[in-house]
Amino acid sequence: MMGYLDKGMKELHELLVMKKITPLDLAKEAIERAKADSCNSFEKILEQEALDEAARLTEPEEDNILWGLPYIAKDNFSTKGIETTASSNVLKGYVPLFDASVISRLKERKCVLIAKSSMDELAMGGTGTTSHIGKAYNPYDPSHERMVGGSSSGSAAAMAEGIAAFALGSDTGDSVRKPASYAGLVGMKPSWGRISRYGLFPFAPSLDHVGYFTRDVEGAAYLLEALAGHDDMDSTSSYRPVEAYHEYLNKGIAEKKFCYFKEIVDSLSDEEMKKKFFASLEELKKKGASVEEVAFGLDLLRAIYPAYMVISCAEATSNDANLDGIKFGPYYEGKTYQESMNEARTRGFSELIKRRFVIGSYCLMRENQEELFLRAQRLRHMIVDRLNAILREYDFVYLPAAPGIAPRFGESSDKLSSEYLIDDNHLALGNFAGLPSITLPLALEEGYPLGVNLMGRAYEEGELFAAAKALEDITGLSGLSAINKKEGRL
Amino acid sequence: MNFEAVIGLEIHVEMKTRSKMFSSSPNSFSRAVNTEVTPFDLAFPGTMPRLNKEAVRMAIRVANALHMTIDHELHFDRKNYFYPDLPKGFQITQQRRPIGSDGYLEIRKGNEKKRIGIERIHMEEDTCKQTHFVDYTLLDYNRAGVPLVEIVSRPEMHDGYEAMKYVEAIRNIVVYSGTSDGKMEEGSLRVDVNISLRPYGQKEFGTKVEIKNLNSIKNIQDAIDFEIERQSKALLSGEKIRQETRRYDESKGATVLMRVKTDAVDYKYFPEPNLVPIRLSDAFVQDAIDTCPELYDSKFERYLQMGLTEKDAEIILSDPAMASYFEAAAPSGADMKEVANFLIVEVNSYLNKTGKGIKEIKMPATELGKLTLILKKEKLTHKQGADILFKCLEDGIGVEEAKKALHIEAMVDDEGAILAFVTEALDKNPQSIADYKAGKDRAISFLVGQVMKLSKGKAKPSAVMAKLKEEIAKR
Amino acid sequence: MKKVDKDVLVDASSRLLFTLKEEELDTLLEEFKILQAQMEMMKEVEGLENYEPMTFPFDVSVDYLRDDVPSEPLSRDDVLRNAGSVKDGEIKLPKVVG
Repeated sequence: MMGYLDKGMKELHELLVMKKITPLDLAKEAIERAKADSCNSFEKILEQEALDEAARLTEPEEDNILWGLPYIAKDNFSTKGIETTASSNVLKGYVPLFDASVISRLKERKCVLIAKSSMDELAMGGTGTTSHIGKAYNPYDPSHERMVGGSSSGSAAAMAEGIAAFALGSDTGDSVRKPASYAGLVGMKPSWGRISRYGLFPFAPSLDHVGYFTRDVEGAAYLLEALAGHDDMDSTSSYRPVEAYHEYLNKGIAEKKFCYFKEIVDSLSDEEMKKKFFASLEELKKKGASVEEVAFGLDLLRAIYPAYMVISCAEATSNDANLDGIKFGPYYEGKTYQESMNEARTRGFSELIKRRFVIGSYCLMRENQEELFLRAQRLRHMIVDRLNAILREYDFVYLPAAPGIAPRFGESSDKLSSEYLIDDNHLALGNFAGLPSITLPLALEEGYPLGVNLMGRAYEEGELFAAAKALEDITGLSGLSAINKKEGRL
Repeated sequence: MNFEAVIGLEIHVEMKTRSKMFSSSPNSFSRAVNTEVTPFDLAFPGTMPRLNKEAVRMAIRVANALHMTIDHELHFDRKNYFYPDLPKGFQITQQRRPIGSDGYLEIRKGNEKKRIGIERIHMEEDTCKQTHFVDYTLLDYNRAGVPLVEIVSRPEMHDGYEAMKYVEAIRNIVVYSGTSDGKMEEGSLRVDVNISLRPYGQKEFGTKVEIKNLNSIKNIQDAIDFEIERQSKALLSGEKIRQETRRYDESKGATVLMRVKTDAVDYKYFPEPNLVPIRLSDAFVQDAIDTCPELYDSKFERYLQMGLTEKDAEIILSDPAMASYFEAAAPSGADMKEVANFLIVEVNSYLNKTGKGIKEIKMPATELGKLTLILKKEKLTHKQGADILFKCLEDGIGVEEAKKALHIEAMVDDEGAILAFVTEALDKNPQSIADYKAGKDRAISFLVGQVMKLSKGKAKPSAVMAKLKEEIAKR
Repeated sequence: MKKVDKDVLVDASSRLLFTLKEEELDTLLEEFKILQAQMEMMKEVEGLENYEPMTFPFDVSVDYLRDDVPSEPLSRDDVLRNAGSVKDGEIKLPKVVG
């Protein structure tokens, strides 16, 4: 049944301001829907806290579009007083003493945190199957055969179930933008340094971004205004002024230059995806934009995944060296400290995590650094230079966000593959280069969403929102959810 | 001896900033365990490093004092290893680009000066403190994240004395630049020694032995000299030196084995991704240098010019608080040599007796300066000055007041006045004259006493003695 | 580059303070073969050697330094709140030797 939470943020705001609904109404609906979740979306539903908080919000703030909106945070955002595990047993029982900066900002804007969502363990996965509470399901598939993608799996699933107005995720390779594609959502990751990462459990800081899911591009623009900005607690956060991104929304795309990468589109095997993608190109042109095909370089596209693996695993093995059961997380008695730490880490991490740590650690070893870690960093540099050269000629890179609809479990795995799945891994370009990148629904195929992605120049989020809005107008797929399935226009 | 010792030192210095290196946790070296800790120091997930500006300024000052090239862009790396005292499982340090590189300092060896090269100085963070009990270990995180600079010398020292002088010089720099307390016994300055021996003339280094846990400057010299002898003997008897870590056992006066080093640990260094390079403007660097307090060597030269002996200058400079007190006396135009004398003898003895530090005494340095002026002007003796000084220290009163309270006045050495007293005393004590003439030397002391009594203590004793003898001879 | 075999992996994992099961090691070995082969091929990417290793997404530097002003520390209770083994206001571990 349709409810308030199937609406966009702007519309909800208007209803709240007119006092047609209250934050408590929204929180109640969110909690009710959250309790009915069948996709394994949550680590923890904060029923009492959310209702109490919502009940306190009685005077609408007209100039605060986020006022009273219920939201969900991935369980790798530190929340004061609320257990936060990043879906890993190694953090079971850990109750943070501080809020992540994004959580604080949303608190100040009077948003209501409904739940902490499940995720791939420590954000190291792309399938939503490695949480310690089990795999997350795609809400579009009641038979539970299809994944919603990861690592921000619970946030994506919950949004597709219409449980919140928006949801926070994190994106190191494509962890917001890929699940957004499978769940018919807008998934946004701005430039590196645009949103403070303080309080986000790190996976690979040089690639990590705070990202989020909304139901439309407009919501994404407004939300960035609230989340972006320098934060003294994160030395890597940018001092550049935060813009009024929503003012870009209706700027249009006349004269804008789009490009897509030949190798990636050529490698698509999903004919429907191809058809709709090309159809969208024609529509973009009708709106006055130009679209050109660009050859990125197959060797560089193939380098993305191995380079990503090496860099992200290397950083991760170091970031997660703090997880030893001593300061927090389950502690195990032992005869020696090694035994104690060994027990905490052996029991705490799942197999995938351990394998990735070994890979990362191996790549950093003195005798391997040049051929693995440093080579991966050189590849990154080369790829980023190529990408930026393209973006000097074109305004946006436009590509399918995933090769097709959400795969069935077993069709895609987090195990390293010898195949080069360039059409499945290219979103990491945005992480390598720290560029703003947004996924949005393109069409539905047999009732499952297909997503596309736009990437723009660093710190030009406004322009990116303008392009995404134009595309959204083309597809007609704003406000999509598993409850509110729509016919697209393409 | 047949071998040349090659010695290099790694010195870790705890900086006395108000907050820690990468977190805003207080850094006041509190003794109450786990009271100076913020989430970053416990490596809570999601915390991020925020570099302390003052720590950078201090590191620049030390680097400058050591004539180093200062990097105007700061880069940090992670040093990865697991140990219970390392909360994050890595230490943030400056492996690739230390803030300072390629410098030197000069030590004095007899009348000669010797230059010791310094390879690098870099910033990093301290570990937490472990306290070991019989069957468990406790962890206090107050020290976790305390700012450190590590100063790495080139292997250019050859005996314990040179190493000792080098450490002394480093300590003087970090103490006088206001960077650190520099207390080895409290661990705010920690020295690791690398030492190897090789036959004279050989170019290649011998096997390196590391000595840790040296808790005084004297121990450095003793440990090295012991180690040189130990290795020489071993080499002479055909033994091979193992690559190992030893510690100095003060009671035995010997270095003892801690552990044999196996393969070198691989710290898997890589750039810290949570700290982008930090640019330091020329103005920032220059300002750090310009605002550096006056360093030891400069003070030493200045003290000599004030007329102090090298020894006195060294004694005063051995305690920065003493030096600062000493200097505070100067503006009054004081006799600084006399100020130094009072400080080294009387004030020190007062401090020893009362267990106080110089910062706690109530007498302002300007009063001590004034005392030296009064002494000169009123021709008072050093002893009288000392009496006034003690009175000031004990009662917390000014020099004038103390002098009045003690009824101290200038000595009478006017010949006529003294003759009058002497004549009166001799007239009253004929027996003493007889005794003295009969060879009883004690009689003259009695007579001096009588004269002093008559003069109410104001007669100058040396003048009294001379006049007495003169007058007795006449009778 | 070090040759990867099971012994190397067992050693690497024990240095990371966890234990891998036999079948986990097999999977890992397989993954290593793939990764190393891919990284080996990447060597052939033309002009790669002209690129410096890149740590950050773009050329970025800041001049921000934190002012040396202490903030309120955690209470000792909070410091120890999440620790599983505590004694006398400190975290307690089996005796650390060496």
